[in-house]
Formats: sequence, structure tokens, C-alpha cells
Amino acid sequence: MIETAHMAAFLALAASVVQTWYGLRGFRPMASRMAYSAFAIMALSFLLLAWSFVSSDFSVSLVAANSHTLKPLIYKIAGTWGNHEGSMALWCLVAIGFAAAGALFLRTGRLRFEALALGVQGAVAAGSLAYLLFASNPFLRLNPAPLQGAGLNPVLQDPALAIHPPMLYLGYVGFSFVFALAAAGLIEGRIDRDWARATRPFVLAAWVPLTFGIALGSYWAYYELGWGGWWFWDPVENASLMPWLVGTALLHSIVVTEKRGGFAAWTALLAVLAFCFSILGAFLVRSGVLTSVHAFAVDPLRGSLLLGGLLAYGTAALGLFAWRAPRLKDGPDWTLASREGALMLNNLVLAVATATVLLGTLFPLLAEITGRQMSVGAPYFNLTFAPMLAALLVVLPLVQDWSWGKANLPGRWRLSAIAGAALGALVLLAIFVTGLPAGAGIGLAIGLWLLFGAARELFRRAVRPGRVFSLPARVWGMTLAHAGLGLFVIGAVIETGASHERTIALAEGESAGIAGWTLTLDGVRSGEGPNWYSDRADLSATRGDRTETLAPEKRYYPAAQMPTTETAILKSLRGDLYTALGDRRVVDGRVLWTFRVYFNPLIDLVFAGAVLIGLGGALAMAGPGRQAVAQAGTEPTRVVRAGGEAAA
Amino acid sequence: MMRLWLLALPVLMAFETPLDDPKAETRAQALMQEIRCVACENEPISQSAADIAGDMRIRVREMVANGASDAEVRGWFAERYGEFVLFRPPAEGTSGWLLWGLPFGFLALGAAGLALARARAGTGGRGAEPVPPERFDHANGTGN
Repeated sequence: MIETAHMAAFLALAASVVQTWYGLRGFRPMASRMAYSAFAIMALSFLLLAWSFVSSDFSVSLVAANSHTLKPLIYKIAGTWGNHEGSMALWCLVAIGFAAAGALFLRTGRLRFEALALGVQGAVAAGSLAYLLFASNPFLRLNPAPLQGAGLNPVLQDPALAIHPPMLYLGYVGFSFVFALAAAGLIEGRIDRDWARATRPFVLAAWVPLTFGIALGSYWAYYELGWGGWWFWDPVENASLMPWLVGTALLHSIVVTEKRGGFAAWTALLAVLAFCFSILGAFLVRSGVLTSVHAFAVDPLRGSLLLGGLLAYGTAALGLFAWRAPRLKDGPDWTLASREGALMLNNLVLAVATATVLLGTLFPLLAEITGRQMSVGAPYFNLTFAPMLAALLVVLPLVQDWSWGKANLPGRWRLSAIAGAALGALVLLAIFVTGLPAGAGIGLAIGLWLLFGAARELFRRAVRPGRVFSLPARVWGMTLAHAGLGLFVIGAVIETGASHERTIALAEGESAGIAGWTLTLDGVRSGEGPNWYSDRADLSATRGDRTETLAPEKRYYPAAQMPTTETAILKSLRGDLYTALGDRRVVDGRVLWTFRVYFNPLIDLVFAGAVLIGLGGALAMAGPGRQAVAQAGTEPTRVVRAGGEAAA
Repeated sequence: MMRLWLLALPVLMAFETPLDDPKAETRAQALMQEIRCVACENEPISQSAADIAGDMRIRVREMVANGASDAEVRGWFAERYGEFVLFRPPAEGTSGWLLWGLPFGFLALGAAGLALARARAGTGGRGAEPVPPERFDHANGTGN
């Protein structure tokens, strides 16, 4: 079985090489056929690999090292990608999948461009497959086969984490196809409106799963790690945030290229960089150069190979860029006060924010070279990254109605500035009264301001309120994403600024209080699952005349010899009452159980906001609109109608 | 992933009591979020339940209660455990200044670079024509 999978992966490598050859020579139909074949073969290979996990075939050394017969089926399947080799196999499958999707959906009428893109994507897939087969081969046998597997890392046995890696990889590897499209455009010397129209859906196809992937990872960290927090500015988190930030900048910049033909070189550069940051992310996670709480499967040799790949693809693409960028045509002229200017500001801040995250993530490494041991943590990012983004978000609602070319700055704009200032003052006053910290107060004001701005832009575009629902999906997508950002900011600052945290030790029958709730320990029971046993505390939480029960758990997985926390969270509109069980101790003959308890106000807004941002992106992808078809290949002609309505 | 705090016995944790003065307690907690646990992978002492983190938290509260300033607390920990324990590294020395200055340097450089690129590109917007704002044309189903 696994030999067939092994063979199939080699065949997929061969097909990708042939795809590259045909593609770079401009043969679109052959390149497409090779992409479809490679995908079919690699899908077979991956399914066979997954099957060896499902059937617990411990003669496959990867399965023996990472699976266990007692593991529930879903985690056997997820175990396929819950380790380094398997996740690389998934990476290859996704890379080839994007090639096949490109072969299927790219319809620009420019066959050479499409062939070139498939050729470059073939090269990315071939490189990934070579790395898979020669440096992290998941298809190797083990002789003699053990009777039982070593089990999957138990903290990874979680529904959110079963789908988190595929999501993240759809994002990371999705940017490889954006990279391929940019390389093809650069080879042809045409990064123009047609290019942007063809590329934008693929940017979203990578950015949307990456958004969901990051949100899932964050949610998982929140309820599984037992720390009460959801973002720790950990190197592994930063590694996924950087490509997301570049992708976000790209989504805004590519609109200028699509609508006006402007920012061509910059858009191409971002398209290249988004993928470079994805590989950098994989390198940071896999190489173990940075200490992280999330990193698993660390291997220096693989790290250097990934770094080599990053340098090879990155240098080739940046060289291509340096060669072609001066030849790219730019769009019509514009003033600073225009949509182009506003989007330029967006890109400046997002680029600098990405550079800041990169700096903060790598700085401990750089400082170590000079012999200085430093830690860069949340306080650093809160003082550098956060204010920059905050400034951008304050500006967003003010400039999003600026027109292309040159904004006609009417009194309306001044009106919204005044409205914003009034809103801000009002909220700050409210905060002063309620006693939130200043940072949280400013954040709350910004979040509300974004919600107001998103709604205002929607109604501005609809002209008449009744027409909001017949606006194109793309407008709704943008609105949802910006509103989601507003909700996210509100949740994030309130949770950070007003959460309560306590460590308590309780004997049976004892109580402790947090944020108006009284927690009583009713007892602790032992439990047992298919591949773990546990201590499970029964807590009753009382607030006024309301009583709820919470059962935080501490599990022990004997196969992996590892404990995990299973937090118990009581959700309410005001926020989460969050409990995690710690250790049992005997003090003066009394048995005490330690708990970490938190009250996290409005934390659901953090995750809901992130989901809304992702949904907004998906909606923007779903609706390219009839307009794209109507406009294809023609300059937009604009008609001013009676009543002041202009149509594109 | 090894959750150290589940294995270690946090003997002292139960005896950690918040300070009576809520302002001092808030300040102590803020400091705890900035000081790195020396036994853990990448966690501040506020999150860690390792023994040593408990000791360190008690020390922070003690110092705050005795009227030490934030800088004094950070200084004490940096002296005792090395600069490594500070998640907010001081802006001292070349690397300290680079770390804190570069983000804002990038911003200034980026803005200057863009201004220069625009100036070199020529008209600087004098030839810009306003394009009427997009509205959704319901009759033709177009717009954006």
C-alpha cells in the first residue's frame, strides 16, 4: 500500500517537472493536463498515506511514531498531517491542487501567461515534492513493525486542531500560486488590470483559509492551553501572522491594479513576498531556531533545507522582479487625497507592521550573535505594532469614500471627521466613568468607529437604504471584513484591559470568588477515555440566583506520557468564565486542588470578528460580479445619470 | 508539548495573595506580564505555574508593596537573572535602540521613499482627474 503511495509521489514529482517544462515553454493545454494528472496521483498518494493511519498500519514508521489503535477515527485521520512528514505531504498536495485549480479556473484569454503561471507553480510543487521525498519521507517502512503506535501528541487531539493545519496550509501554499501568477506576469512584463482581475480571486483563495486557520489556532490556544489568553506574540503565531499581513496589504494594493492599473510593481512585489513569508513561517516553525511553546517536530537539517528553498525561490523571483519592474506601466496620475493615496497609506502601514513583527521575532536571534540575550514579547508589540495599526484604523472610515484619481473633499468629509471626534470623545468619557485602562478605551472607540464607518460606506454605496441588499457581494465582503475588524478590536481591547485572573487552591466544599461569580468545589472524580485517564473537578459557579456547573479536567495520556488540560468555560453575553484544573496537593492533611480561573469579558468578539473577516473575504471571492465580465478588456466608461448616480 | 506547570508542584502558588491596594496589585500584575519565567519555554511569570514563577511573582508583589518603581523591579530581575527575563527589553545599547527605533524608522523611511518615488515619477498628481465615486447601478447590475 504505502509503496504505491511512495511511487505515486515520485510520479507526481515527474508530472510536476513535465508541467514546469511545458508551462515555461508556453504550452497551456499540456501544462494543464500535467497539473490534473499530478493532482490525481498526489491525491491518491495522500489518501493511501491517510489510509495507513486509519488502518493503523504500524509497519509504516510514520504511523508507528504518530498513531495509536485506541485513538478516535477523526484523530487517526488528522494524525496524517499532525506531524512533520505528513504535513509536508499535505503541503505538496495543496501546491499541486492549486496548480490544478489554476489550470481549471484561469480564463484570461492569454494562454502564454496561463502556461507560464502553471510552469512556475509546477516548479514550486516539484521543489516541495523533492523536499518531501528526499528530506522528510513519510512513506518509509519499519521492520519489524511494532504492535502498537506511540500515539499522537495529545494536545493536538482536538477538533479545532484537526482542521487547523489544512486551513493554514491552504493559505501558505495558496500564496505559492499567487507567487506563480506574479512570476508569470513579470516574465511577460504585464502586471496590468487583466492580470489583477485574474489574480485577485486566488489571493482571496489563500487569504481566507489563512484567516480561518489563524483564528482556529488562536481559539485552540485559548481553550486548550489553559492560560486564558488567545494571542501570545509567540514566534510560531508571528510566523503565520506575517504572511497574513502581507496578504492583506496585497488584497488592498491589487484593487488599485485592477481598477486603475496602478501600483503594478508594488503589487507584484507583495505577491512574491506573501509566499516568501509563508516559507519563512514554515522555516521558523520547523527549524527550531526560535524557542516557542507551539513548535513540535524540530530538525535543524530540514530547517536549513527550507531556508535554502526560501533563498532559491525568493532570489529567483526578486531577481525577476528587479529585471522587469522598471518596464511595468503605471496607471493614471493621482493626488495624495485619492483612493490610491488612501490605499498607499494602508500598504505603507501594513508593510511596516509586517517588518516590525519580523524584527521582533528575529531580534533575539540577531542579538545573540552580538552576545546579548534578549526576549521580545507582548509589551514590545503592544507599543510598536499596535499603535501603528490603531492609527491606520482611525483613518480608514475617513478615507474609504475617497474617489480614484483625486478626491473631491466636500463638507461631508469634514462632517464625518467631526462625528468621529465626537464619538471618540464620548467613548473616552464613558471609559473614564467605567474605569477601563486608557489603551482599552482608545481601542473601544476605534472599534466602534470602524463599525460606524463600515455601515456608513455600505449605505453610501447603496445610495438609498432600501438598496443595500442588492449591492454586489464584493461590497458586502469588504463591509463584513471591516466590521469584523471593528468587533475584533473591541473584543481584543476589552478582554485585555478588563479581564480578571486568579489562581486558587480549594479543598472540597470550599469557595472562592471572581468577577461576581462564586466558585465552589463539589468534588473531584477520576475518569477514563479511550486513550487517557483524567481527574475531573466539579465546580458550581453561582452568581445572584443563577447556578451553573463547570468541569475542568486534567488528562493524562499514557502512550505519549503527557498531560493536557481540558478547560471548562461558561459562556455568557458578558464574557467567559474560564477554569483550568491544576495540581492536587496535601497541605496540613487537607487535600487542595489548584485552579486557574479567569473572567474574560467579550472575548467571543475576538473570534467572531476574525470569522467575520474571513467570511467577508469569502464573499468578496464569491462575487466577482457581472461587472468583471462587462468590463473585461475595456476601459471603464462612466456615465453620470440624472440624480447624480454614476455607473461604472 | 510539555506543560511544565502540570508536572511541577506549585507549592507556593496557594500562598500568593493579591496586594490589598488595588492600584499596587494592578501594577504588580502588569509587571508580571513583562517578566519571563526562567524555567519555561516562552511564557511570562503571570501565565506560568512553575515553582520558580510563583517565587518570582511573590518577589514582584513584595517589591511593589515596598514602594519600588517599575524600573527598579525590572532592574532587580534583570540583574539577578539576566536581561533575558525582560519581555520588554530596555532601549539601551545599540541593539536596544535598534529594536525600539527601527519600526518607527521603517515608517519614516517608507514614507520618505514613497514621497521621493512620487516626486521622481513626475507630475505628483497635478494631472490627476477625479473619477466620479462608484455607485451601484441597479438597472445594469454593475458597479463595485
